[in-house]
Amino acid sequence: MSATAGAPGAGAGGGKAAQAARAERARASAVDRTGLLAGRDLVQVRFGGSGGQGVILMGVILAMAGARDHRFVVQTQSYGPEARGGYSRSDVIISDAQIDYPELEHADLLVALNQASADEYIRVLRSDGVLVYDSENVTAVPPFKGEQFGIPFTRLAFEETGRKQTANILTLGAVAGITGVVTAESLRKAVLVMVPAGTEEINSKALARGLALRDR
Amino acid sequence: MSEVLDIEQFLHTERLPHIWCPGCGNGIVTGAFLRAVLDLGLVREKTVVVGGIGCSSRAVGYIDLGTVHSIHGRALAFATGIKMARPDFTVVVLTGDGDGAAIGGNHFIHACRRNIDITCILFNNQTYGMTGGQVSPTMDPGDRGTTAPYGSIEPSFDLCRLAEAAGASFVARGIAANIRPLERLIKQGIQHKGFSFIEAVVPCPTEYGKRNPPAGVIAMLDDTKARSISVTAAAKMTPDELRDKIVTGILYEDDEAPEFQSAYAAIVERAQAGAAEAPARPKQPAAPRKPRKTAPERPPARNGEAADASGLPLEGGE
Amino acid sequence: MERWHTHVLREKIDPSSMLIQGNRACALGALDAGVRFFAGYPITPSSEIMEAMAVELPKVGGVFLQMEDEIASICACIGGSLAGQLAMTATSGPGFSLMQEAIGYAIMVEAPLLIVDVMRAGPSTGRPTAPSQGDVMQARWGTHGDHPAVVLAASNVADMYRLTMAAVRFAQRFRTPVTLLADEVVGHMRESFAPELIDRYRLTSGDFDFSPSYIHPELVREVHPPHVLGSEAHPHVTGLIHDETGFPTNDPQKSEKFLRELYDKVGNHRDELCLYDVKNEGKGRVCIVAYGSCARSARAAWKLAEKEGLQVEVLHLYTLFPLPVEIIQKVARRVEFMLIPELNLGQYAREVRKMAENWTTVISMGKIDGTLITPREILDRVTELVGKYESV
Repeated sequence: MSATAGAPGAGAGGGKAAQAARAERARASAVDRTGLLAGRDLVQVRFGGSGGQGVILMGVILAMAGARDHRFVVQTQSYGPEARGGYSRSDVIISDAQIDYPELEHADLLVALNQASADEYIRVLRSDGVLVYDSENVTAVPPFKGEQFGIPFTRLAFEETGRKQTANILTLGAVAGITGVVTAESLRKAVLVMVPAGTEEINSKALARGLALRDR
Repeated sequence: MSEVLDIEQFLHTERLPHIWCPGCGNGIVTGAFLRAVLDLGLVREKTVVVGGIGCSSRAVGYIDLGTVHSIHGRALAFATGIKMARPDFTVVVLTGDGDGAAIGGNHFIHACRRNIDITCILFNNQTYGMTGGQVSPTMDPGDRGTTAPYGSIEPSFDLCRLAEAAGASFVARGIAANIRPLERLIKQGIQHKGFSFIEAVVPCPTEYGKRNPPAGVIAMLDDTKARSISVTAAAKMTPDELRDKIVTGILYEDDEAPEFQSAYAAIVERAQAGAAEAPARPKQPAAPRKPRKTAPERPPARNGEAADASGLPLEGGE
Repeated sequence: MERWHTHVLREKIDPSSMLIQGNRACALGALDAGVRFFAGYPITPSSEIMEAMAVELPKVGGVFLQMEDEIASICACIGGSLAGQLAMTATSGPGFSLMQEAIGYAIMVEAPLLIVDVMRAGPSTGRPTAPSQGDVMQARWGTHGDHPAVVLAASNVADMYRLTMAAVRFAQRFRTPVTLLADEVVGHMRESFAPELIDRYRLTSGDFDFSPSYIHPELVREVHPPHVLGSEAHPHVTGLIHDETGFPTNDPQKSEKFLRELYDKVGNHRDELCLYDVKNEGKGRVCIVAYGSCARSARAAWKLAEKEGLQVEVLHLYTLFPLPVEIIQKVARRVEFMLIPELNLGQYAREVRKMAENWTTVISMGKIDGTLITPREILDRVTELVGKYESV
């Protein structure tokens, strides 16, 4: 099949040797991933919320962590024109194989930070998927039979760091801890790269608190 | 006469005669510019002249320096790119009132605002000569053009005031009918570090003159000369006395105003020294602009009143 | 000679697992290709290219300009180009429309230039954050008069890097503006990207040479002697039809000769300019011809079809213009249908039809709702085609 060596199809093709090495590294990282979605070779994640909640940043950080696990990732987004308020959504595909179609066909994991995104996006969530939502913002949980976790992320973030803005990082920690879509180590590194300078410490605290939620 | 021969070295004499009509002022201003080039001893390879489209911009086709005959209205944008790519070049823009103030008006005010070290000589003949005498933004209300057969109803721009307000750091006006002062202004403009704007009032007997008084080349030149007064004389005059007058000389000059290319060079230096991307110093209030050399009230337009608002033809419509 | 991939490797991310935004990859590709002049005007969804250049160009002593509009931006770029700089601008549909007159000027005066158009849904203001491929014919025929065009299309983040480099090379070698089309999804997406793999990326049946020697490539023979400001020749540059001296001419013979040479310098080198990739070569009755984001859907559709026991061929075009006549006609001879999925109402399908209709049935599949065409939508159409018309 001509789809292998050097095919530029999904962004990061390359020679057979390079691909084999990448696959090897990806397998190595897989050992460190445990959780509800850790075993899937293709995971499609949607983050939904309103503008200003850091939804796009969450997608970018998760994608970067996935890349650090040596897997193929694509992150896309959709948002309204407002810088604050309005709708905002960020999608991440993490795969062991090259990703051709860059958008979500359905979601294995939906992270809803407000009521509107829970209501709107529940229809794309597969029945064997996982729903994670902020239990203080999403009060009327849409009907869903699969695994679901309602956690007061914003309140926990405020308790932990004194700043509500760290809720998105805390949520990411919880998501990684519960589902295992990325390794905790890669997520830690990605958070440190992406958060604003000077906020590393509080965001690390928020992340640790989120990761610890898997044990509750 | 040797001066004439001297500027021939900067002319593509094989491309002469030029396309300008008898009595046109464009050749006079072009000659004044070339004498300035000669006097300043500008290096041929490092002197670039950019024109737009129109009668005035055609000058670049006869000038034997680096010349760019660009797009209608965009000469200043081209020139900005050239100056930034080669800060060692002397960049001069030759434009007209249509090219520079109508279609190119936006680029004009932004080039002034940046105060980039370019000299812009605008040939103001108050009409579109090349396309046949249409209304230009410097045509006085009441004047006739092929697109204002009943007289123009639009107020006109005072381009020098516009340039000054927009941030140009050297603003001057001269007239083709009085060539030596104009030549001096061009020379000073080129020497000035920053954006220099020189308005050259030129007669267009063919397209403007045949529809608007006074008729005839000599009469037009005499009229401009009679109406022109120096900036110092104008300072002592009332707005009423300034009616119809063409104020000439250096209208505004600020040698301290930050020049764009130098400011950018400083940014490059900072970036290469590894400076943070964020502004390193607290925001400071902008330094106050230098006061005007003279602050005459805007002289009322020459023909005073606007056209008949009823829209009926005024006498003798074409 | 600069070290190859300097800029992309300077990204603060671990190079073995990079995640880069498409627009940023474009900026890095331009910098690595030697672009040192950018003038632009902000517009969604391309602004990130400009923002990256604002940060990076001063560091390498290059020129960054935010101009007052897109017209000024491209004119400043042409000015920079005439003064010997490798210049670039980036925009989206509305800005691209404003640039058209100046693009004609750049073609006429043979000023090398890179224009990136990150397409959004139009016409007019349209939907700034929705993807589209509606600018294909604008990229070909947006400026007036008969003229050649070199237009490439990026389908992923790696393309945004390497096709930017290819575009710069073409601009220099053919001394003409080159347009790189992307769309909102490609520009804004972040994707894993491995720079060490770029050198050997397959772009055609042969390998495209991304080696450092590509900087300052030789001019093709049809290019007229360049007029560079500051050279001893103190040149004259004009948008009027001119002869090799640079001065205008009204001579009919000279006029035609000049314009034909402009055309020929592109048309005679299609083998070099036409980049494409064929997948599942020679298998199946249908070939999906696609570019940009739709090529990704096409590739996914091919893999999906294979799982369902159906073979389809995919022709992924990286060069839209000059028209890749040879490969289109070669494939047309062996398939019954050519299906062209596009985020417009068949702009490129019409071009393919002109080239291929003697041999095959060309079917346009357009979508203009601001979303991508899904692999399933393509596969459904393929299944319908092969089911409706039993093979003879």
